Amino acid sequence: MDPAGLVVEGVRRSFGSTHAVRDMTFSAAPGRVTGLIGPNGSGKTTLLLMLATLLAPDAGSIRIGGLDPVRDPVGVRSIIGWMPDVLGSWSALTTRATLELTGRLYGLPKPRAAARAAELIELVHLGDLADQPTRVLSRGQKQRMSLARALVHDPAVLLLDEPASGLDPEARVDLRVLVRALAAEGRTVLVSSHVLAELEEMADDAVYVQAGATVDPDRVEALRDAPRLWRVRAEDPGALDAALAGRDDVTADHLGRLVPVRDEGGAADLLAALVRDGVRVVAFAPAAGDMERTFLELTRESRA
Amino acid sequence: MRSVLAVGTVVDLELRQRVRSTAWYVLLGIAALLLLGVTFLLIATAGVFGRDGGPQAVAAVVFFVLLLGTLVTPALSGGAINGDRDAGTLATTQVTLLRGWQLVLGKFLAAWTASLAFLAVAVPFLLIAAGFGGADPAVLFTALAVTVLELGVIAAVGVGLSALIARPIFSVVTTYLVVAALSLGTLVAFGLGGLAFPVRVTATYENYSADAVNDDGEVVRAVCDPPTVVHSSVPSYDRLWGLLAANPYVVLADAVPSRFDATGNPKDAFAAIKLSERGVQIPIARSTYQSDCNPGRNTQDTSTPQSVVDSTVPTWTVGLVIHLVLALLMLAAAVRAVRTPARRLARGTRIA
Repeated sequence: MDPAGLVVEGVRRSFGSTHAVRDMTFSAAPGRVTGLIGPNGSGKTTLLLMLATLLAPDAGSIRIGGLDPVRDPVGVRSIIGWMPDVLGSWSALTTRATLELTGRLYGLPKPRAAARAAELIELVHLGDLADQPTRVLSRGQKQRMSLARALVHDPAVLLLDEPASGLDPEARVDLRVLVRALAAEGRTVLVSSHVLAELEEMADDAVYVQAGATVDPDRVEALRDAPRLWRVRAEDPGALDAALAGRDDVTADHLGRLVPVRDEGGAADLLAALVRDGVRVVAFAPAAGDMERTFLELTRESRA
Repeated sequence: MRSVLAVGTVVDLELRQRVRSTAWYVLLGIAALLLLGVTFLLIATAGVFGRDGGPQAVAAVVFFVLLLGTLVTPALSGGAINGDRDAGTLATTQVTLLRGWQLVLGKFLAAWTASLAFLAVAVPFLLIAAGFGGADPAVLFTALAVTVLELGVIAAVGVGLSALIARPIFSVVTTYLVVAALSLGTLVAFGLGGLAFPVRVTATYENYSADAVNDDGEVVRAVCDPPTVVHSSVPSYDRLWGLLAANPYVVLADAVPSRFDATGNPKDAFAAIKLSERGVQIPIARSTYQSDCNPGRNTQDTSTPQSVVDSTVPTWTVGLVIHLVLALLMLAAAVRAVRTPARRLARGTRIA
């Protein structure tokens, strides 16, 4: 596996009068996990289909490891692993047979395909169910099988479309650890999701997508200057409210008080002030992750 | 070599996933029961036909097997590609190193193999029928070979339509319609076509009248009456036999070596069908002449069954060419339809 980056420039694709992808430009680097963040219907899946050599763009260019998926689909296929958002499986076949046959479709000789299937079953913890037909798998188990299928040929670039939807918390942790490990081996990992908490834990870089277009990184950067909310909880809520009395725009939710601060420095100042005032703080954290905040800000901006 | 292996992997996958289901085994069982019934009835008729019943029994079983095969194959092939798209397994196959032609070829071979299982079930019954005696191994072998090819053609049509039509139910039904068009539509078109484009024929009759009769009533002098000329329109089929050539049953009957008995009558249904469909290749005489005065000038049909068969184009060759071209076109269309990266998508389809 040689490291291979991914570069997308001005990509556009429509279906009839529906402009699914209008203008997407970004890049993803080897060894890093890049999150593709956007609401449902913003064109993430269409973009991934183009990256996975299944759909030709109407305009723009895609390079994966320097190869063009339109002109050299076979070359690109040998270095990408794609996990679709649709959980299809050969229902009558076992997980093991599925992985073996997929390996053979990638040109692995039979014994090599069998060995690779055994490795992957171990990797995604499907050992107990490996010899059951895939129709008995739960949604989360199918997700893991789907991830294993994308890894059969040891690809340098991983395209994961909503990989954590339907996973229980434990499986999500497993997925995060696995994806981080795969990136640490030098792979380029692109993860699309609208579950931001999941990406927050996993991604190094973020690409925001809105209505078929990637959001200009400058605009994302500008949002960093906007005030952000910190959630504070204290042993004695009364004392906390008293200490916060002089501040503007303090709100509350079921978990605590929400205080706007300018940046992380402002948050540190706030905590120091509360401690000075003798408030016994038990929880002090950003109310939303960076990605969630940016995402919500972008949505708010575009509605305005 | 590797590209052949990939086709083999698709066949393997297809047989394991799609074909070898409980429903398929149940269908095979039903087919065996039906064949058992038909064969039993033929044994029961053996008392009527005696030893000559062998060839007839073989022909009946062979036609029944072709009917069964053409009824089952659309179901086995007509959802091969769009069924995978529905199940979400087509795209994950397409992102592997498998080429489109390998996918289509593998699906086709698997569907064909699955339909041949029905033929395999029929073989024991064919042997029982042949056991009546008088059956010719060459007939049996040719009939089986043609059936194998015809089922392949239908499998190709099914796989092709499953790539061209978005929903499995519609592609299966369309495949059935193609089978119906070939099996029945050709006959209807042939029959109606002959009526729609008749030719004018002229028949001339000459009778004689007694001019003088002796005392015993014998004619001693006769005169020829003026000829009676009758013009009429009759259906003409000689330009339409190509329609019959597209019929799988005709192809089967025509391909089998024909057997006629000592008096020139066909020995089995194959020969009977062959004789009539070859006969229509010969244009009808545009004018006939029947004279009682001058019988030497009479037009007459001197053909025998054997001379008709020998003097006409072997329909089965034309039919097989038509069917093979159809099969290849359908497979080529399927390869085009599964080509990725896709530029155009049919309405209502999703890639994955």
